[in-house]
Amino acid sequence: MIKARRETIKPESLRPLDRFKAASASSGIPVVSRHGELGEVIESSTIGLVAEARSLHGAPPFGSFVTVASEYNVFGIVAGATTRSTEPNRRPVAFGKTEEELRLEQPQIFELLRTEFEVLLVGYLVDGDPVHFLPPQPARIHSFVFRCDDQIVRDFTSTDDYLRCILAAGHFPADQLIPAAMRTAYRCHGSSTSYLVRAGKELARLLRDDYDRLGAILRRVGGEPC
Amino acid sequence: MNNSVPSDRRVGVLTRGSLVEGVEMKLDPARNVEDLKAGKFVVIDGDKHEFFSMVTDMRIEAANEEVLLHPPDRADRLMRQVLSGTSTYNIVSLRPMLMMPKSAAGKLDDPRPVKAIPSHFSNVLEAHEEDVARVFGREGDGERRHFSIGSPLDMDTPVCIDMVRFAERSNGIFGKTGTGKSFLTRLALCGLIHYQRAVNLIFDMHNEYGFKAMKETAGSNATFVKGLKQLFGQRVAIFSLDPESTRARGVQPDFEVFISYDQIAVEDIAPLQDELKLNPTAVESAYLVHALYKDRWLRTLLSLDGPQVEEFANEIGAHPGSLVALHRKLKRLENFPFMVSKLQDGDVVDRIMEYLDRGINVVLEFGQQTSMLCYLLVANIIARRIHEMYVKKSERFYATQRPEDQPRQLMITIEEAHKFLNTTAAKQTIFGTIAREMRKYYVSLLIVDQRPSGIDDEVLSQIGTRITALLNDEKDIQAVLTGVSGTDGLRSVLSSLDSKQQALVIGHAVPMPVVIKTREYGPEFYRDMGANTSQEYVEHKVDEDTIALYGDA
Repeated sequence: MIKARRETIKPESLRPLDRFKAASASSGIPVVSRHGELGEVIESSTIGLVAEARSLHGAPPFGSFVTVASEYNVFGIVAGATTRSTEPNRRPVAFGKTEEELRLEQPQIFELLRTEFEVLLVGYLVDGDPVHFLPPQPARIHSFVFRCDDQIVRDFTSTDDYLRCILAAGHFPADQLIPAAMRTAYRCHGSSTSYLVRAGKELARLLRDDYDRLGAILRRVGGEPC
Repeated sequence: MNNSVPSDRRVGVLTRGSLVEGVEMKLDPARNVEDLKAGKFVVIDGDKHEFFSMVTDMRIEAANEEVLLHPPDRADRLMRQVLSGTSTYNIVSLRPMLMMPKSAAGKLDDPRPVKAIPSHFSNVLEAHEEDVARVFGREGDGERRHFSIGSPLDMDTPVCIDMVRFAERSNGIFGKTGTGKSFLTRLALCGLIHYQRAVNLIFDMHNEYGFKAMKETAGSNATFVKGLKQLFGQRVAIFSLDPESTRARGVQPDFEVFISYDQIAVEDIAPLQDELKLNPTAVESAYLVHALYKDRWLRTLLSLDGPQVEEFANEIGAHPGSLVALHRKLKRLENFPFMVSKLQDGDVVDRIMEYLDRGINVVLEFGQQTSMLCYLLVANIIARRIHEMYVKKSERFYATQRPEDQPRQLMITIEEAHKFLNTTAAKQTIFGTIAREMRKYYVSLLIVDQRPSGIDDEVLSQIGTRITALLNDEKDIQAVLTGVSGTDGLRSVLSSLDSKQQALVIGHAVPMPVVIKTREYGPEFYRDMGANTSQEYVEHKVDEDTIALYGDA
């Protein structure tokens, strides 16, 4: 089903074998997409969703902000990515070859792999403005996931409630996710120190007695932003 | 709460406190605790009142012991910035001194004593010029009572003291030596003379007030500032015990002071017990001589020679030993050049009274006669007589109740006041009496002293306004704050004053205690006091003085 759908939206400009190539790792934005989408929702709940990346290894960066074009434009932070076999019962086996060699000799094996990424929902967009509540309904399956505009990230991170959402979401590595999300927001705020200090203060309040954890997180945000 | 408060005026937010112990605020994280100084004047913007308060103490706190055990690295600026105001914060203790209700129209009523405390999370704001003027009044407001003595710390607005209230009671100017007591005294005297709220009699031990005084500067270039005579001209008369010295400083004394032996009463000798090392029986003997010879007692006693004294003692039934001692010690008085057996120019006290009655302020210079003995003796003799005269005048006024009989308010300035007002002397000298009860006889004291702990508690508690420069000694601080309520905070303020040009003003003449940077005593001040140095004025002055001297011919 998914495969069929992907074929229907394959852009004309791509060469037939392009889809076997790995996504450009540096840009973080998968090249194979018609609408600029990063992936497609394949599992959805009110607190999070799982999307399949448009291309193999094409998940958006950890800690980046994404939105879903759906009934409610839910808004979230990429909290993890996984690449695995399409068949749950068939694990990939080691071939002892480089990816390049494998693509030439056994291109079909890449068709049997897919990349999925998890999104932690932290709000949704109302008339284009982010609000810090969870959506009334989860995003619909098969809706597309897009990268968030810098402006929206700026608006959304003008308050720091999302930090509390991340800390409250138990199954994500919050100590890694928070610095990653803060770095994204920091970049969207034009690398302004005052943003970092403000968010840091909120974090200090949230972590209250856990000074060590605060220190660890802040160190990961970036050593010398000042 | 006022939401329109500009954030740059906000110093912090009120967190806890009590009426008795004062309140505490959390310093705004954007502020550096090092910028806040003890004694600073701030306004707490409560829901219904504004509270005028003084910063009394500060401390740095941490919400978490861990932070203190593992402080962030000095280089980790982000961490330090994040922690500032969250895990680490600054608490500032404030002492509300006055409150003003906010009325509906936003106008504020007169300040009142604090009977309530501000509600939680009230904003604490830096005081505005308006606030200072509202509390302390404005110089030149037409009432001729508000005299600017300086400005609050970190502000340029004048802090005024109410000269009418200042003149009403005895006042004290305290401070360690070299902290600017003389300048403060000169300022206060200028205020009194300028507004004519009291006529002054100044016992000027170190020749600092009459004509020119040296300004102590850090370098070797000492400069001179104008004295009262230069600022107020004919409204000030200089009396001198040492005319040579006065003339050497470039001014002709208005009156040369001589004192005859007959003017010295036993009461004048009694306070000299310490200086002369007299024992109590010696004073008893003096009373015995006085009983027989009345006013001539001292002259009679001093006219005797060594062996005659014992005979004399036996004659009058005094203890020979103590009378000999008394005689020997009083002989020292003969060394004073101003002591004469017969007065040529009339009684100095009468002349002083005459000047004072005309509203002319009298500076009594001691010239080279700076010994404590001389100062104590002369001040006592003169003050005692003035006191007697004022009592009579007041009683006449009470009897007749005619406004023209009302005596002028007199303020007597004494230096080294602890010599007159220590626990033993305060009971014997006339100054003790004046400090305690002379308010109703229109006489008050301006006590200038560097050792307030030496002054009798009873006297200290009667002091209306205290202007205090830096004091370090715990006993002195304690003494200055005697009779002032809510002193805990002021204590720290007092010991943290700068050693120059800073003073704490507490008491009757100011609505609330305030730390000031003393007003500059310089050309601008001279102009404000009406001393005009323009050519036109000088010529006019010469004409005026000529008429004063030779009559309008």
